[in-house]
Amino acid sequence: MSTWAARLDNPLSARLRDPAATGALGIFLGAFAAFLAIPPIEARTVTWPIVVGIVAVALGIWTVSRGRRRLGWGAVAAGVLGIALGMLATRSSTENLGSAFDATLVAQTFSFATPLVFGSIAGMFSERSGVVNIGLEGMMLMGAFWGVYGADKGGSWVVGLLVAAGVGGLVALVYAFFAIHLRSDQIVGGTGVNFLAVGITGYFFVELYHNNPVPNGVSLLPNVRIPGLSGTGFFAQAIGDLNILTWASFALVILAYVVLFKTPIGLRIRACGEHPRAADTVGINVYAIRYGCVVLSGILVALGGIYLSEGPQGNGSFIFNMTNGRGFIALAAMIFGNWRPAGAFGAALLFGFSSALALKLQVYSSSAATLFQILPYVLTLIAVAGVIGRTVAPAADGKPYVRQ
Amino acid sequence: MSDDLVLEMRNIRKEFPGVVANDGVSFDVRRGEVHALLGENGAGKSTLMNILYGLYRPDGGEIRLAGKSVSFSSAREAIQSGIGMVHQHFMLVPVMTVAENVVLGSEPRSGVLLDERVAEKRVADMAKTFRFAVDPGARIEDITVGQQQRVEIMKALYRNADILILDEPTAVLTPQEASDLFEILRTLQREGLSIIFISHKLNEVLEIADRITVLRRGKTIETVPSEGATEASLARAMVGREVLLRVDKEPAQPTDVLLEVRDLHVRDDRGIEKVRGVSFDVRAGEIVGIAGVDGNGQTELIDALAGLQKIESGTVEIAGHALTHASARAALDAGIGHIPEDRQRRGLVLEFSIAENIALHDYAKPPDAKWGWLFPKRMVQRARTLIREFDVRGGGPFTRAGGLSGGNQQKLVAAREIARDPSVLIAAQPTRGLDVGAIEYLHRRLVAERDEGRAILLVSLELEEILSLSDRILVIYEGRIVGEHTGDITEEEIGLEMLGGRETAAA
Amino acid sequence: MTDPGPSPSPEQAAAAGTLAARIALKQRAGGILVPVVTVVFALVMSGIVLAATQHSVHTALVAFQEIFDGAGLNWIFHPTTNLIDISAYNLSQTLLQTTTLILTGLSVAFAFRCGMFNIGGQGQYFVGLVVANWLGVDFAGMNPFAHILLCIVAGTLAAAAWAGIAGVLKATVGAHEVISTIMLNWIAFWVASWLFGAGGPLQNSTQPTVPVSNQVSSSARLPDFWGAQGFQGVHVGLFIALAAVVVFWVLLNRTTLGYEVRAVGFNPDAAAYGGINVKKNLVRAMAISGAFAGLAGALDMLGGTTNYQFGQLDIPFSQVGFIGIAVALLGRNTALGTLFGALLFGSLLYGSFHGLGSSAVIQPELAGNLTYIIQGLIVLFIGADVLILYVWNSRKKLRRPPANPAQPAKATAA
Repeated sequence: MSTWAARLDNPLSARLRDPAATGALGIFLGAFAAFLAIPPIEARTVTWPIVVGIVAVALGIWTVSRGRRRLGWGAVAAGVLGIALGMLATRSSTENLGSAFDATLVAQTFSFATPLVFGSIAGMFSERSGVVNIGLEGMMLMGAFWGVYGADKGGSWVVGLLVAAGVGGLVALVYAFFAIHLRSDQIVGGTGVNFLAVGITGYFFVELYHNNPVPNGVSLLPNVRIPGLSGTGFFAQAIGDLNILTWASFALVILAYVVLFKTPIGLRIRACGEHPRAADTVGINVYAIRYGCVVLSGILVALGGIYLSEGPQGNGSFIFNMTNGRGFIALAAMIFGNWRPAGAFGAALLFGFSSALALKLQVYSSSAATLFQILPYVLTLIAVAGVIGRTVAPAADGKPYVRQ
Repeated sequence: MSDDLVLEMRNIRKEFPGVVANDGVSFDVRRGEVHALLGENGAGKSTLMNILYGLYRPDGGEIRLAGKSVSFSSAREAIQSGIGMVHQHFMLVPVMTVAENVVLGSEPRSGVLLDERVAEKRVADMAKTFRFAVDPGARIEDITVGQQQRVEIMKALYRNADILILDEPTAVLTPQEASDLFEILRTLQREGLSIIFISHKLNEVLEIADRITVLRRGKTIETVPSEGATEASLARAMVGREVLLRVDKEPAQPTDVLLEVRDLHVRDDRGIEKVRGVSFDVRAGEIVGIAGVDGNGQTELIDALAGLQKIESGTVEIAGHALTHASARAALDAGIGHIPEDRQRRGLVLEFSIAENIALHDYAKPPDAKWGWLFPKRMVQRARTLIREFDVRGGGPFTRAGGLSGGNQQKLVAAREIARDPSVLIAAQPTRGLDVGAIEYLHRRLVAERDEGRAILLVSLELEEILSLSDRILVIYEGRIVGEHTGDITEEEIGLEMLGGRETAAA
Repeated sequence: MTDPGPSPSPEQAAAAGTLAARIALKQRAGGILVPVVTVVFALVMSGIVLAATQHSVHTALVAFQEIFDGAGLNWIFHPTTNLIDISAYNLSQTLLQTTTLILTGLSVAFAFRCGMFNIGGQGQYFVGLVVANWLGVDFAGMNPFAHILLCIVAGTLAAAAWAGIAGVLKATVGAHEVISTIMLNWIAFWVASWLFGAGGPLQNSTQPTVPVSNQVSSSARLPDFWGAQGFQGVHVGLFIALAAVVVFWVLLNRTTLGYEVRAVGFNPDAAAYGGINVKKNLVRAMAISGAFAGLAGALDMLGGTTNYQFGQLDIPFSQVGFIGIAVALLGRNTALGTLFGALLFGSLLYGSFHGLGSSAVIQPELAGNLTYIIQGLIVLFIGADVLILYVWNSRKKLRRPPANPAQPAKATAA
């Protein structure tokens, strides 16, 4: 055992853990992705350039969220370029594959990423203040169901949003009470929330809707058409017709960054997550900050949930346990992004892209498409393994604080 | 320096379960003075300051700030009243910048945003005024401990503190950093701040303080101006002249060298070199005591001998066998018995029964186990014998160790370690926090084990204990052995060495 | 009920830290009282939900009666081994469900005893299930004993290795086992979906469009010990699970391995001081934990609980690994407690599914969801040791009010 640990400390892996090396590796892989599709290798399927390209993008995001911005974005660009070139190259040989990779893929990526962005930013607020939130999955599910319910009974998607946010906040408040005041184990508490959410949403889905889809004509989250961007152009298809929550998710990332890193309250939140005793000694109310952050976390992730049911993919219908692990992918995105908004956003986009791609690939090989789903988890596992770069959670994350 | 009192603490009393930490302590501070609070570990200095800082509520007595009676229920209130404290363990967020740490909790704003520029500028101005030489934009984890301490001082200044408490500020500093700190303190003093300087290092106190208050066992012994005070007089006040706990023992008859340590260097978990070239022998049939103030490398020395801390360089031999880079397991098997300094954190698994705790080292060996199979009955049997032999009271073999009193827990640890028949027995703070009966028992036991022919290494912060038990005394200071004594020696002399007095005298 | 005795002040001990220490504390604080109260509380809460939504207390009471009968627990009033008898049949199905939950519960409990939270039981269960299916299909016609043994051992070991990844990551780079086991869960989830899905390597060879595996060959099927023609019988896996309970207890309490695991779980510092290799134990305990879950998967596959096959679409509905968390927590991570916890959840799961599935008073589809609610409440409240301690202490205070004035003073000081 000790030898493994020792091996991990040797210079090679130390170099690998340096963000600079990660970024360089990403750029290299991006180039390699493009190279894969052209002679002499000439991969017959587009899968390999994409996989390699995605890894390059992942490394790039990783590098960015660990401080080496220029290099990281370079790797992201190289990866994207690699995928595009790879696609172009294979497209010329295998015609029909081409249709999979067009502007709608971009739009789909944003769409799949939306709940993940909300979820990962939600988790970030909670964990930055020092409370681990494994219950994201459950809170998201609550948002998905009660959002539809609100939109249905209230007659408007706006009501749906409010109801989702309210219920999400409420569940989070209950969880916060257990995690902060009762100092319950946060993992156990979060697991309880997840079970409870499945049960409650399932129960009331049967009770209120008899397991049938919500009646047609429920007010849905609208898309926002950008004036002047219409038709069949690339940009028109890619971003011309995105959902209002997708746009909101972009704004959320920026807002989260500003709040966490540019305002006094953000400074205090981070202090509570890193060294609550230090925060306490300068007069910051650690409990209040943590309650606020956990409740905010519940509200945000519930908004991610309502996107699933009330967004373009859900079309106003709830399905039993419809989050199906998306709350955990959001958690993964947050970890992958090193508890930073830009990193989490990048990871959410990457994971969204792999989902969008899986959906497209379904037509050609549903088998491969299924396997594609493991990507976020594998990448996150590698990330926490610390083989390349190091994931650093807030120091007091998950530790109940006891006032002196 | 003026004579007006900024702080008066009168007859402060604070009890903890079983201990009176402050017993009618009185203490005052004048405007613009450095007032040192001197005393041994456990004399009640930290308790007194935690009361002042609002972390503890006193059970009796009065605190007056600038003549007005106050009562703080939180640190926040103390801060608002102009009291700042630099804790021994810094209250800094390592991943944040200097400026962020200083302004945390009372941030300058521009609109809703944090005004980083103003924050950095104010910190930079402060650093310039007091010659702190700290970059406001640097992250705490990237700067030295000395600089971190200055950040703590800036935190207090930023909040307009006019009384600054420094809790053993030099404990973590190099000598150079310490003299830099003194420069800063003098500057602050000139600016009109009053400084309370907690320490147990005599030379420092004499160097920096205007007045010195000595605490011993929760009581104020004296308050004297530093002019006219000497290290010897202070040491006498600090340590006191009390009747020693007499231990009847025959003169030692040391024979073979069982523990041989040569030029040992050990770093602590943070990578700081705490043991700097220690060499000594312990022979069969003698008790060697290591005297020293807490934090001078004792813990790291013991852990290195017990295989719990990596040895940087140097050698350790047990009865002639090299044991330099051994694991804890190998050290145990080579014949080291170890009564650890923290019995609750390390010495015992509190949730385990007495019988299971007795098996902690040898659970995998006969008679407790064979081929990986445990024999609980044999464990229990052995436990029963040892409970009787070592007079562990408060439970039988199945009682949880955590349910025992401190004295019985320690007897349990001693029973386990001695019953293993070690050739070298390390006893670290064996009587800390125990009642007189338990102390006497353990002392007699250690002497008896010496007479059985074991080599005993005793590490204690209690000078009395060292003096009454040891056949030979080594004094450790800043990771080095600075003195060795066999014959009669007074507490003052050793006390002086422990506090680094001899070094200053020589220099 | 155990007497709490002269335990140290709970606040002091609660602050002490490690998960295992807190669990031990709760054990002392309430013995079996706490789990029982938690269960009763969860049942009452869910009863209130039922009564409120159905506008009838009577309905709620009938529903619980139906769950009870649905689980076959009314069998004890007129015991018979004839599966034609509905209560006997129900009981047999409850026992099948319990078999799985015993093992997934032991899995979580074992890791807990070493101070780790194995939230990945579901993934480890899938690994055991997949490997058993693969070998059970591929080596058709082997000697049945050898074949069954091969499948069980391979499934168990594969899951042990899978969980071991999380252990290795924790021991070497300090990666938190909760995060890594969650990731491993979902990886196992999607890999299994791929294997059993259309075009997947383990997908049914005769019906290429149906996303379901082949059936395990007859040579690898576990024999039933209580069954009848045309009924799904109870396979011998139940005895294996019961044996696992014994193994769990023996391993922890009668072997040096168990001693090390418990020492590390309670106090890693003291364990290291005692000469125990802490890292080795983290890896080993995680692997053993995974083995229990993998065994559950293998037995379900070979015993016919899932009709000797598994479908891609069954995967999202399989929750037995997660329920194992509730089982272990409820059972206080002890062997016997886990057994009872499994029996309770087995009864709840099958009882609500079957009893309420044909309910006269409520919508059948509510059944499973009610179980989730109960489960969630149990997990949520069982984790709240401070609440439990608070209630426990105030109960003591009520009993002898003026006895000990120092007690409240100490509590406020902490």
